[in-house]
Amino acid sequence: MKRANVSIFALNFWHNATTSKTFYLLYFIFVLLSGYAAVSGVKNHNTQNEIRKEHQVKARQSWEANPDKHPHRMAHFGTFAFRIHPPLGIFDYGLESFTGSTVFLEAHRQNSVNFSEATFSTGMLRFGELSLALLLQLVLPLILFFVGFSSVAADRENGTLKIVLSQGATWKEILFGKSIGLLAVSLLFLIPVLLVVITTLLLLDDQFEWLRFLLIAFSYVAFLYIVSSLTIVMSATSNTSKNALLRLLGIWLLLVILLPKSTQAMGNYWFPTPSKLAFQSAIEEEVILKGDSHNPDDPHYNSLKDSVLKAHNVSKVTDLPFNYSGFVMREGEKITSSLYKKHHKKLVNIYESQNDVTIFSSFINPFTAIKLVSMTMAGTDFSSYINFQNQADTYRYELAQTMNELQMEYISPKKKSGSEGKTHVVDHEHWEKFQDFNHQPMVFSKSIKEAFPALISIVLWVLAAFWLLHFTSKKAKAI
Amino acid sequence: MITFKLFLQQCIRSKEVWMSLLLITLLGVVSIIIGHKHLERQQNAIAEVHAYQKQHFDRQVALHNEDLGLLLYYANFAYINTLNPLAGLSIGQADVNPTVKRITIKTFEAQKYDTDLVNPMNLQSGNLDVSFVIIYLLPLLVIVLTFNVLSEETETGTWRLVIIQATSKLGFVVSKLLIRLMLLYTILIFLFFIAKLVLNLPFNTNFIWMLGLSMLYVLFWFTLTFFIITFNKSSGFNALLLLSVWLVLIILLPAGINAYVSSKYPVPEALSTAIAQRDGYHTKWDTDKLATIEKFYQHYPQFKKYGYPTDGFNWLWYYAMQQMGDDDSRNERDALNEKIKLRELASRKITTVLPNMYLQLVFNQLAGTSMSQQMEYLEATDAFHEKLRLFFYPKIFEKQKADTIDWNQFTPEYHEATPNVSLVQSMIPIVIASIGMILISIPMVRRL
Repeated sequence: MKRANVSIFALNFWHNATTSKTFYLLYFIFVLLSGYAAVSGVKNHNTQNEIRKEHQVKARQSWEANPDKHPHRMAHFGTFAFRIHPPLGIFDYGLESFTGSTVFLEAHRQNSVNFSEATFSTGMLRFGELSLALLLQLVLPLILFFVGFSSVAADRENGTLKIVLSQGATWKEILFGKSIGLLAVSLLFLIPVLLVVITTLLLLDDQFEWLRFLLIAFSYVAFLYIVSSLTIVMSATSNTSKNALLRLLGIWLLLVILLPKSTQAMGNYWFPTPSKLAFQSAIEEEVILKGDSHNPDDPHYNSLKDSVLKAHNVSKVTDLPFNYSGFVMREGEKITSSLYKKHHKKLVNIYESQNDVTIFSSFINPFTAIKLVSMTMAGTDFSSYINFQNQADTYRYELAQTMNELQMEYISPKKKSGSEGKTHVVDHEHWEKFQDFNHQPMVFSKSIKEAFPALISIVLWVLAAFWLLHFTSKKAKAI
Repeated sequence: MITFKLFLQQCIRSKEVWMSLLLITLLGVVSIIIGHKHLERQQNAIAEVHAYQKQHFDRQVALHNEDLGLLLYYANFAYINTLNPLAGLSIGQADVNPTVKRITIKTFEAQKYDTDLVNPMNLQSGNLDVSFVIIYLLPLLVIVLTFNVLSEETETGTWRLVIIQATSKLGFVVSKLLIRLMLLYTILIFLFFIAKLVLNLPFNTNFIWMLGLSMLYVLFWFTLTFFIITFNKSSGFNALLLLSVWLVLIILLPAGINAYVSSKYPVPEALSTAIAQRDGYHTKWDTDKLATIEKFYQHYPQFKKYGYPTDGFNWLWYYAMQQMGDDDSRNERDALNEKIKLRELASRKITTVLPNMYLQLVFNQLAGTSMSQQMEYLEATDAFHEKLRLFFYPKIFEKQKADTIDWNQFTPEYHEATPNVSLVQSMIPIVIASIGMILISIPMVRRL
């Protein structure tokens, strides 16, 4: 394989592809769509974050505005956690529209994350959302198919191929040259998109995560190389260019629409999600078994009481050096939280098993691989969402326990139960002291771990693309 | 008759056609199974809630017989959105919105938008249900079957023979298309038949309308391809152009419209309502009890006879505070409802010009899985909540014992969703689009 020959084929391909009028039309449409997607992506990011940050402040203000009161009242007053939209969400919406943004955090209860875009939309959302990532994953491959489907087949049909081969070029040079040419054409589409993303991210003044961006950029280049090679191989192995196009379109339909939908459906079928009632009552039953602080005759709490009384050598809870009711609530929160955590973990494991089917399918479907890498790196994927849920729940637990401890410390032991009134109260300065919730984006190393299988599959696909070109070059026929 | 038979033979001669017909039927069957699974899951959830509710009250009464106020703090009551079997054909929003809500008589706004357990990845990938097969995939099959109806004749050189022998060029092209249309209709009817058996669908008007609208939709795509093939370009060009039209109509335009609607109408009101209802209730712990109770009596003058107990904690004051969570967040809630209606109106308006999106909305309406029906269900849940409140408030205020109430009467209640579309009106956009296509194509065939 001579390098000079490869670059001749690449340049020739580039020249042929970029001089046609239809190409300019396609390019123009693509740029227009990208512009629209970029503007709506940025606009959506800004409005969503403004809304969420504004409400986080509002919720905090009314938390801090509370007067001196019983800490248990504050535990129920609770607060809200709003999920912050990640900066790279302007590029890849990922699951953003399907994950809630708001969760109410209070004592005893783990509330659901509510108000996703999907709950407020008509069935339209299921047709997809126009993001830059969607254009690169779905539309750009189609454009590459249109540009490249006839590259070898047409040469064969009009006899140029015979001449070229008889003049000393090898199949390998032709195929590698053309696939590099097509990759170059695809970069013509990719680079402006990436430039737009960089500029907006720099302008947004968020902490710019270069590593995430670079990984996205490299993955897309690799993906486009896979698509380019596939196009050239199909063109070389089909006897007519029409057949090549039909086959490529069939592949697109299968890999972009049918397979992703089916794999997720299979995951859902094999690992069914429990109903909310089943999930909640499983926890409820275990709580009853382990100790229900709301049941006055609960054996766990009765024996706890006896041992506490014994340890402090008193006969009544009102003689204890701390507020016993706060102590019981602290114990109750510990039990219910750990049980909830256990069951929630199980639930997340079910979701993960469902998603694993899709993740494994990336080894047979490069389109899924890039989709997963892209949204994981953008921070709009499943793990980022679960990460938010966990952060919110940890904060909820701290809030409840801090309030219980304030109660144990500052509320008179004589106050047996109840949180009403203005006599048994804690100073309101404590409310300000308890830090506000602050959603931390998932750290890069965790995202990498999440995206690892998909990244590996992209690497394997690049190798497979090389092999495919090599293999085809041995089998291909000039006539 | 013989010509028709020959046309049919010509159509199903190619391997690709057979393959694609087989594939679509297979996918159709898979989608029916997925719909069946969805219905089964919902039915199980409903059965669970029935079993749960009974023993739930038994336990609560045993624990808190003396304290009805406390009992109702914990007790929850199921309200079920009646499952329409057609939801198995068009799952719509039913995967993101819960079918069963269990509510307490406390602040309703705090419970209204609680979601089910859902995996966002499942939501994003969407359901492979029958409506998907019809709306996304059948058009592709139309394209595969028809893109070369005319061009293959020109490309193989038979077109000139046809012109000499056929009585009408238009008749020739149309009968070739009709054969293919009949073939697709056969598949469509077959799929609906299977669906009827598997999903136990009642043979009612909504079912027939769904089938009828699907047939119209397929017809629309035929008229579209008819229009494009009359340009008499090469097969490759036709395939390319038709697929681009498919891509634009089915993927790009809807995606663009979504981006438009969600950025034009963001819903900050949802978050404001959430904060307002919390503050509405919780701040009352610190404010004057008399004022709270007075406000409560302004809402419910019929309870004035229970007086103004302000000493320490009492349930009247407590539930008056809970009531304030709803009452004090009314402005925010109204704004939220307004915004949601605005959103729906905007999407409805835009979709009337896009047959595919339009069909999806009508399907969801017929199956009771649309957003507007979800909103109606939430409103009905609100009414159900109010009914419970009015039933229990006096009993709590009179400090009745829990066992004086017949808890067996509280079995889960059902809400019946009604389709909010005029059926005849619903077909107008598709019919107009189809007729328009035919009208502009006919003169072009004559010029061939």
